[in-house]
Amino acid sequence: METKSKIFSQRLVKAVIWNICLQTILAILLVFFIQIDLIHPITWITSTFNDIFSWKMSLNIVLLGLVSCFQAYLYGSQYSMPVPKYFTRISMFLNMFSLQNIIFSTLYALNGYFTMSLYSSLAKSNFNVLKKKCENYDGQCLIEQSLFLQIGGMWMGLHYFTKSHLFGAAVLTFPHIYQEKFQQIKLVISNIVSMGFQHSITPVAYYCLFYFVWGNKPRSVVSDVYSLYLEDPPLDNIINLISSGIWIGLWFYASLFFISIYTMKTVFNVVLTEPMKFPIESNKDMTLATALSERLQFTSYLGALDLKNLSRTDPARRGQIFTLSQPGRHPKNWNNLLEKCLYIINEFNKELESINRDSCTVDNGIQSKVGFPKVAPSPTRYTGSLRNMASPQLLELKTQNTTIVDDTLATAVKDEFNSFLQKLCQKPGISYFFGELVDTKLKFILIQAQPVMWTCEGLAYIVSSSLKEDQYGIVQHDLPTVLAAFVSLKQNLDKLTKPGLVPRKHILNDALAIKNRSALLSAVKRSLYKIVLTFSKYIHEIPLDPDVLTAIQPFILCKEP
Amino acid sequence: MSIFNSFPDLPGPGETAFCKINQTYCCGNVRYGNITTFTNSTKQHPKINVTKDLHHHRLSDENITMYVDVEDNLLKKITSVWYKQGFLEALSVAADPNVNRESQVLAITASYVLKVTNLFTTLRYFMQPHLKDIGPKIVSNYSRTRNWSSSSVKCIAWHPHTTKIALATADDNVRVYCSEVSFVSTLKCKAQGHVSSLSWRPYSASEIAVGCEQGVIVWTVDPNSMFTKPSSSNAVVLKRSGHSPVTDVSWSPNGDLLVSCSGADTSMLVWDVGMETAIPLRRVAGGGIVFARWSLNASKIFAATSSIIFRVWDTQQWTPERWCARGCRVVAACWGPKDMVLFAAKSEPIVYALSNSGIMNGAKTTKAQPVVDVTKVELPSGEAVGGPILDMSWDPTGSYLAVMYEETHLISVFCTTQMMMQLSVTPCCFISGIDNEVPTTMAFQQNFTEGACLSIAWSSGRIQHFPIIYTENY
Repeated sequence: METKSKIFSQRLVKAVIWNICLQTILAILLVFFIQIDLIHPITWITSTFNDIFSWKMSLNIVLLGLVSCFQAYLYGSQYSMPVPKYFTRISMFLNMFSLQNIIFSTLYALNGYFTMSLYSSLAKSNFNVLKKKCENYDGQCLIEQSLFLQIGGMWMGLHYFTKSHLFGAAVLTFPHIYQEKFQQIKLVISNIVSMGFQHSITPVAYYCLFYFVWGNKPRSVVSDVYSLYLEDPPLDNIINLISSGIWIGLWFYASLFFISIYTMKTVFNVVLTEPMKFPIESNKDMTLATALSERLQFTSYLGALDLKNLSRTDPARRGQIFTLSQPGRHPKNWNNLLEKCLYIINEFNKELESINRDSCTVDNGIQSKVGFPKVAPSPTRYTGSLRNMASPQLLELKTQNTTIVDDTLATAVKDEFNSFLQKLCQKPGISYFFGELVDTKLKFILIQAQPVMWTCEGLAYIVSSSLKEDQYGIVQHDLPTVLAAFVSLKQNLDKLTKPGLVPRKHILNDALAIKNRSALLSAVKRSLYKIVLTFSKYIHEIPLDPDVLTAIQPFILCKEP
Repeated sequence: MSIFNSFPDLPGPGETAFCKINQTYCCGNVRYGNITTFTNSTKQHPKINVTKDLHHHRLSDENITMYVDVEDNLLKKITSVWYKQGFLEALSVAADPNVNRESQVLAITASYVLKVTNLFTTLRYFMQPHLKDIGPKIVSNYSRTRNWSSSSVKCIAWHPHTTKIALATADDNVRVYCSEVSFVSTLKCKAQGHVSSLSWRPYSASEIAVGCEQGVIVWTVDPNSMFTKPSSSNAVVLKRSGHSPVTDVSWSPNGDLLVSCSGADTSMLVWDVGMETAIPLRRVAGGGIVFARWSLNASKIFAATSSIIFRVWDTQQWTPERWCARGCRVVAACWGPKDMVLFAAKSEPIVYALSNSGIMNGAKTTKAQPVVDVTKVELPSGEAVGGPILDMSWDPTGSYLAVMYEETHLISVFCTTQMMMQLSVTPCCFISGIDNEVPTTMAFQQNFTEGACLSIAWSSGRIQHFPIIYTENY
């Protein structure tokens, strides 16, 4: 958590405050509508105000604050950790029982319990307390309905947790246009309400089933602990359950719980995804280049988004990029930015390449066995009076790169063991649990493609606006590098889509990843088109690599699909 | 005095105008004349003539009666209607005593349910009167194409970077003509009905968005492929409930966002096509959004509603500036250089200009300036020209403005020059059809380097390319 940026935590705090305000408004609205009394409007309004300013409401607000802090913590840890890399079923299964998930599930269950009791107390129902005075006996009796509701609240929390955390992908999606916060919330609020009422139907049905089967256990435990009697008909009987009508209440409160959770999710999304302007050069604030350099972190998302926005709409900051440093007259800003952008693109490219290489490993394996063992060239020592201009580090690097093959017993055993493991993994039952899952690796890479898209588009727009705005021609110098990076990314992406070339384990089944792949490909092509069409008159004067030149030929002719 | 009196004379009888080169208005014989005698600039352009026999058979509402009715049993009939046309239609079938003779109970229940739903529908139409018309009617109401429902060419669109033109024909096929290859790609899929608009994606050679009744269809047509009928697997259908029929689609000049509008929907959708997600843009009042136009540098969007209100959206903050037209809704609008937008209201013969709205000149007091009055007049030759405006098109450099009129059938082209935020409009030429041809729709070519080239779809199905060539040293 603490490795993450200040920006992220600031935004979380902001989101919590926003959330508390919004939830309070929701609660006030609920009180207002529940006490509706058209015949006596004055008593209606006064009683509402009494309730709003009562100690109960303020306690509830404190509770709400607590709940949303829980949520902020959940969100923080959800988005701050990189998307998990579980490539086998067994690791996925084991991960379900990690300490973090256990904490989360407890938090969610508590959250559900609190929210449920909060709303039921606001609604002035008598199902807040477990005990009541018995009518027929002397002593305390159990109100089973409240027990039913309270366990129900926890159930809803757990249900939401399993649905969204265990089986859902936790990816922060940035909207492609960012409207004002108020507008965004206004647009989704009706949707949230209807979704809340719809989505609560199934968990309520499951819960009723659960209570029908195991309901007597918690009841007996609770009545034992508090030594309570039971005088009403038990609820784990279907007819009693239906006739008591408590399921309607549960559905209502569960819907409110879902509405509050969705509202919170929306508020967090809206606050977290707000675009931010980074300065190009600054001594105290975080600059754009630094933001971009934190790959896979939240700030790099913001940085990439800002790069895209600035490349289109901010001539002042673009001008700053194209200036030379004083003193020294170096294009420091541009070089810095370019380095970070290329780093993002090339790292992503490398990952794709490793995937693509997987498909050729079979051939390579054969080749390396057949081929002659390579003799590592011994570093020639410079003798005589000639000074060694090459740094000794480079020589060391070279020697390290050549793989030394030593035939010892240990390695032979190791190889044997590995191949045995591989064979074992291919056995049907075992491969189900231990075999690498189809497409997970590719999916994992593609889900992080969003900042790469923005970086590509942003870089392309800066480069093409340099034709008119860059007085010193500093961008021109790096044009071949940029084009080469784009071309190789495009080629790697093309390989993924070509049918027949992709091995079975990289065929995508995930809708989000497929969309991401096509969106990325389209973004890269558009960026290439943008540069090529802008520089179309001068394209032959740019010193390009022959491979790159052939690759951009269809773009010059406007023939690339 | 009307501006039309200073236009060059119309070509004589038996003659037609082919092009305008510098100041010369080049006319030739209707039958023997050829544009290549004047200029070679359109030699490579695709020659298009959409004749009626080109059309494929279309399963439309009219020729459903051609098929012989088969007597099904009642349940089957109701379920099939439910499946194809929805629940309400199924109810009305069940309530219809001519169809439902078997089950009286069902008929009575259905008729009562129908009454209740009708009550709701009337209430809804009372609240939102713009929803009353059904699909194709809305499109033809708001379309800038003359006789949209019956014309052979419904709309045309030039590719922004190459000499490639797409046109939607009466049978709802989209045909793509290209200067380099002789064959024509025909785009057709089941969902593509009542095509209202086309838009090529900038910075892409292959993607075209088609606005139709169900939603937006984005086709990817591989320019290297030899298939004349790409399969529907190349199409992505983007739709959303309540957003139908789509009356206009337009890509942002950066090629990243797509805006779709529906005359029956009060919000316009901004699509991220790659991820297939849409974000609605909505403000109170104004009714359905009829069309939207991006400014040339993508910083603003002009959105016309079905009422007198129109909005100019800023694409950084996504906030609108609200404007009111005098009298009637805006029918046509086009952006030019320096963020100037020209627009015309329905049944009013005046073109207004709006520039730098609200920023430079002391905010609130900005008003749209009338730039040219095109009141209907009769020319000395007897032809009528001018009147209420149907459509306008401004060439990408902002030097020529073509205007099409509702009541008269001559297209007038004006020269426009922007000086000190003022637009001066001077006459250029008229374009008339051969015989009784009436212009249906028109568009300027986007990559014509020698001046401007206006492509006009005539009611006969002929597409004319009319180049206006301007050389610097003249």
